[in-house]
Formats: sequence, C-alpha cells, structure tokens
Amino acid sequence: MRRSSAIVTFLCFFAVFLAFPLVMKTGEAAAAEMKQLVYDDAGLLNQEEYDELNVMANQYGVRRETDIIILTSKNTENADVEKMTEDFYDKHALGYDKPHGNAVILTLDMKNREVYLAGFYKAKMYLDDDRLDKVRAKIIPDIASGDYMLAFQKYIQTADKYMGFRPDMNPDNLLFNGWFQLAVSLIIGGIIVGMMAIRSGGRVTVNRQTYEDAGTSGVLEHRDQYLHTTVTKQKIAKNNSGGSGGGGTTSGGHSHSGSRGSF
Amino acid sequence: MKIIDYKCPNCGSDMVFDSETGMLSCQSCGRNDNINLIPDPLTKNVFSEDETTEYHCKSCGAVVMTESETAATVCSFCGSVIVLSERLTGKLTPAQVIPFAISKEEAMRAFRKWCRKGWLTPNGFMTADRIKGITGMYVPFWLYELNNAIEVHARGTKVRTYERGDYKYTETQHFDVYRKIRLNYVKVPIDASEKMNDELMDKLEPFPYDQLKSFKTAYLAGYVAEKYSYDDKELFPRAKNKISEYIESYIRSTMAQYTTMNYTDKHIDTQFKHAEYTLLPVWVVHYDYNKLEYTFAMNGQTGKVVGKPPISMAKVTAWFASISGVSFLSLKLISWMMGGGFW
Repeated sequence: MRRSSAIVTFLCFFAVFLAFPLVMKTGEAAAAEMKQLVYDDAGLLNQEEYDELNVMANQYGVRRETDIIILTSKNTENADVEKMTEDFYDKHALGYDKPHGNAVILTLDMKNREVYLAGFYKAKMYLDDDRLDKVRAKIIPDIASGDYMLAFQKYIQTADKYMGFRPDMNPDNLLFNGWFQLAVSLIIGGIIVGMMAIRSGGRVTVNRQTYEDAGTSGVLEHRDQYLHTTVTKQKIAKNNSGGSGGGGTTSGGHSHSGSRGSF
Repeated sequence: MKIIDYKCPNCGSDMVFDSETGMLSCQSCGRNDNINLIPDPLTKNVFSEDETTEYHCKSCGAVVMTESETAATVCSFCGSVIVLSERLTGKLTPAQVIPFAISKEEAMRAFRKWCRKGWLTPNGFMTADRIKGITGMYVPFWLYELNNAIEVHARGTKVRTYERGDYKYTETQHFDVYRKIRLNYVKVPIDASEKMNDELMDKLEPFPYDQLKSFKTAYLAGYVAEKYSYDDKELFPRAKNKISEYIESYIRSTMAQYTTMNYTDKHIDTQFKHAEYTLLPVWVVHYDYNKLEYTFAMNGQTGKVVGKPPISMAKVTAWFASISGVSFLSLKLISWMMGGGFW
C-alpha cells in the first residue's frame, strides 16, 4: 500500500505543477497597467474585440518584456508597408522597457493588402526573420479570409510562444511540442510495462552459441566478388530561400528584423 | 512386470536420491550408498509391451494407479519408492540423466523468493502461501546432434553517402557473395513429454551438461519420472525448427560487412546424427490463486523459474502512469535545457 500512496502523491504534485503557470499568468496580468497596444486605424475590429485584444496583448507582453503591437491602416498616403512600420515605431517611441525598446509590430496595409512584421531589440533577437516568416505564414490565411480577430489572436500567441525558445533553436522542433512529448511518454510507458508483462513468465536465455560445436563448425569457403557501383544524387534543400523582405533600420536608427507578404 | 524399490540394507527403510550429496541415502539410519557402485536391477529385465497402469506396492500392497507415461513415482499410501522397470528398459532405457541439485526445501524457498520479485504480480500472489503441490520430476528429453551443410548465394550491397556542393550522393557497391558453411550443433534439447508445455520447457534451458551422468535407476528414487511420448524421429522437425533461427543468425554474422543482403539461393542440409534419450530434472509447482491453477516449472539444477504468473491490473496501471509521468517530465526538462521553454 505504501507504493500506491506514493503514486497518488506524485500525481497530486503533477497536477499542481500543471496548474501553477496559469495562476502565475493571471496574477501578473492584474498587476500590470494597461497600455494601448492595438492601433486599429483601418477599423477592422469592433469595440468588444478591440478591448479583448488589447488586454490579451498586455498580458502576454509582460511575460516576454516586449510590447506586442497591432497596427492596421487604410494607407491613404500610399506609403510602403515597411516604411510605415518603421515610422510608426519612431513616432510613438514604442517599447516595453523604454521608449524605443523591445517591441514586435504587426502592420496591415489594407490598401495594398500587404502585411509586415517587425521585431525590435529583444524581439529582434528572439523573433528573427525566419521566425517572423513562420508567424506570418500562420496568420496569412485568416487575414485573407477576413477573420482579423482570429489572426491577431494567433499572432499574439505565436509571438509569445516563439519568444520562449532560445534564439538558435527551431521553435517548431517536434521535441518542443507538448503533444509529441505526451505521446512519446505514453509509448515509453507502454513499451516498458509491456516488456515487464512479457518477461514475467521467464525468458529464453539460450542463444545460437549455446549448442554450437565451435570446434567443428565454421565457414569452409567464401567469395565476395565486386560487381559494380551505382550512384544516385539528390539536391540538398536549402532553408534560407525566398527573401520576402527581411529586416532593416528605421530613420531613427533602430535596427529590426522583418517579414513581409501580401494577402 | 516388475517394480523396483530401494530398501536400506541396514534398517529396511526406503532410500532416496539425495540432491546434496549425489548419493542414495536412507532417511532413517543415515546410510549413504554410492550410486555407481550398487548394481542396477534394470539391466536384467526383459522388455514387455503391455501397457499396465495398475501396480501393487511392494511395501504395503496397496494398489498404485499410474498414468501410462509414469516411469517412477512414490506410493501414495506408504511413501515407498516405486520404479516401474518395464518403462525404463529396451528402447525406453534412458542414456543419460542430470540428477537434481536442488532439494524440495530449496525449491520451495527459491519459488517463494521468485514470487516476491514479480513487479506486476498481485500482492496476494506474492506471499506464495497457496502452493498446492511441488513435484520433482525427471522430464524425458531428446538431446540431438545435428550436422548442417549450408550453401548460400547472395547479393550484398555496401552503401556510402557523402555531400559535395549542393548534392547528396549515395554510392551503392554491389557484390556477389557466396558462403559454404559447416555448422554442427550438439545436445540440442527437445522435450519428449506430451504433458509438458513445450514453450515452458524451452525457457527452462540451459541445463548444465557437465552434470550429465550415465543413467542409473537409483537417481529416480524418491522422484517422479516419465517415459517419452514421442521418439527421436517424430521430434526431428521440432529440433530442426529450433536450430533454424540459430543457423539464420550464423549466416548473417558471416556477412556483417554488408548494408543489405538478398539471398538468391540458400541451401541448408540438416543431417540427423543421433539423439540421446536423457532425463532432465524439473520441479513442477502447482499454485492456486483466485480459483485458478497456475503451473510453474523450475530447472532442478539452476533454479530458474518459468511460467506465467497472474498480472495485477492495478500494478500495471500504476507502473504505466509513473513511468509515463516521469518520461513526460524528463522530456519537458530536456526541452527546457535545450532552450525550448518549459511550457
């Protein structure tokens, strides 16, 4: 019985462990003061959606010490979407830690139907061009179909998630996927317990050498004749293909990472 | 028909084979006789075909019912040693025997210890307090000597990959491979008793062949013995089947340098040299648990226990949950150390 009580304790501990980050998250959100992080100049969101997104962006931003910003524009002056993003950053002196600090900006140019993602300072390091490309790929289908709210939520969540990984790691590595980890653990458990069940009845401990008469056995004749060689070649797929924008530097002298695309 | 018994020349009690000293010993007066020095009454007997199953105990006169395979047993009334000579003579004479090295008490102790070790067995089973019976049994085996002449033709490949420029190259070298192998196996044991489960008996191996003795009836005193149900010709296919995987793995080991192997022609000629009729020592344990009877077998020389114990679902669940939980946490920890973030 001692063993089963130990297991119950372990499971309780496990449950508390799972619940803990949720508690932490709400606690942090209450303490933080609200900033304006959503600039819906194109009027894609209603008031309710706007409030919800702004709260969400504030909550997630605290954890990564980065302002997660959304800008939508009708672009009446017909400016370039990258330039628009840079000027916006310079003008509003955005940043979580200081004016012109850590920030990630998603800009929607509704006139040219273009989208641009930029990461500044900490966000430039943690959300480099490759990662911003990944974020963009995730949200483009929703933007194209007009589901802006969903796209913005995904953007905030993905930006937050990716900033949790060290810059040199691939954030979509299967090893970091919680479901994958769960599946692998269940398989490991199943295999080990299965082995225990199979081996409980005793196992065969003789091998091919047990009854072999080594003195009289052996290879009498052998031949290994070379015939021919075949060679096949395969092109190595390069990852850094398709330079869709990339980063740059604002007129105020702040360098950033970037990803650009249309919808 | 003749029954052989072993009475002590000193006091008239029954003498039995003692697994510790390897002698025929008298429990009453302590007399020990060297088995090799006493004359074997078997050799003077004439073989008769009739299948009697009813005998009279020489000591008390009670009727002893036996199964048709039984070659040695103990009188259930007075406990006298009974050896049925006609089932051990003629072509039924065993050539060799490995005597018991583990006594009944040691076997009980070893079995209890084994029960406690089971990770998935229910707690009620682990106490091992429901042993219904433990029987020391000489199980008939054929020890085969088989010679194999093997010829194999095959296509082998060696594969090498390398990168040059933007391309990955896979270079495959093809070889014509030929092997002529002589592979001899000696003393491959195949159980010849109909009653014993083949799979169980296979798991009992190996038996220490350095303990093989030429057969003496006195080794059976105090134990149960059976005669074979199948002869060496009938069991030859099983013996062949048993060594076939050994042969396969031997052939593969001679071609280890190749990445892939494709046999174009494989010829295995297994020659039956001879088989020796041998009695091997097995403790058979009958165990009651939850109204079901479980049978276990223990190697009478090495003490290895085999047989399927009951499995407790509660323990399976507990192990599965803890192993999976620990693996999950470890994976989380690994991904966190790799910079993946804990959540």
